[in-house]
Amino acid sequence: MIDALWTNLDYVGSVVLFCIGLYCVITKNNLIKKFIGINIMETAVFAFIVALGVVEGGDAPIMGSGATPPFTNPIPQALILTGIVVAVSTTSLALSLIIRIYRHCGTIEADELREMG
Amino acid sequence: MKRALTAALLIIVALPMLYAVAQLPPQGSPTSPAYTHVSARYLEAGPEEAGAENVVTAVILNYRGFDTDGEVTVIFTSLAAVLAVLLGVRTGEKPLAGQPVSSVEASVVVSFVVRLLAPAIALFGIYVILHGHVSPGGGFQGGAILASLLIIITTILERAQAEALVPLRIRRWLQIAAPLAFFTVGVAGLVVFGNYLQFPRTHDLAWLTVTWLTIIEIGIGVGGAAILATIFWTMGGDS
Repeated sequence: MIDALWTNLDYVGSVVLFCIGLYCVITKNNLIKKFIGINIMETAVFAFIVALGVVEGGDAPIMGSGATPPFTNPIPQALILTGIVVAVSTTSLALSLIIRIYRHCGTIEADELREMG
Repeated sequence: MKRALTAALLIIVALPMLYAVAQLPPQGSPTSPAYTHVSARYLEAGPEEAGAENVVTAVILNYRGFDTDGEVTVIFTSLAAVLAVLLGVRTGEKPLAGQPVSSVEASVVVSFVVRLLAPAIALFGIYVILHGHVSPGGGFQGGAILASLLIIITTILERAQAEALVPLRIRRWLQIAAPLAFFTVGVAGLVVFGNYLQFPRTHDLAWLTVTWLTIIEIGIGVGGAAILATIFWTMGGDS
């Protein structure tokens, strides 16, 4: 298993990044920091899927004169381009909700908000 | 105690993922299933069929155009949601203090450099948008560059100057530019070829494909820039 993990080191990096994000979400008290954790988890997923499309010695999938195969897989890149835009959308919505919480309650610390409950 | 629980939870989460990752085919092998099915065809036929030498652009705008059509609607919807959440102030809720938190003037050097670079940044953004089908780039990337230009003008120079670049009169139209461009091209495909968002398939109509791709790219770029900048202004300002 260690050998397999070593050949798939990029995927292992994504797993580590995912756990860092999860750690932020669990332990941080500030809502913005929690959301940064969620963003790190998103990034881990993006990195994993883009790494799936890598081909040994592959070029960017841009044709035209002088392009030589192999090319990397364009589909994960296209999917993640879509995913990044959706992540931006959710991030902006979450941040605006946090701003609204701050205006309403005067704090964005999770434990203080819970006490107000 | 809490630390030990957190560590245990992280290990419980990480172990199955590591196990699964170890089962995947070796990274970068050209025989992996992700590479041998549909993407081989996209790489082979993409530039001819979809009219874009950049196969990523061909995939997002042509092969998976419906997906991207939905996605530009998502980002527009997020703008609508941000405006709904932040602009509707209920009674009894006091808006943030009118004074900006940081009122330090930007130094002369910084503002001069921003003025100097702004046209170049704008040019680069437009280049990335318009060359998205033959080189790395595209509507989203170029839109992000234009939006960052608007944001840097807002933070370093004055908000009014940045807002003047997106005039209030046509701002709503700019924000909805991406769905509109998709809708226009989609209906054009419906009228000419009989299906929503159908691109021409024959070789002698390649110019039409490129034109339609460019229309969508410009729509996405302008719309994305306007949406990102408006979100920034809505969050940053209390007006």
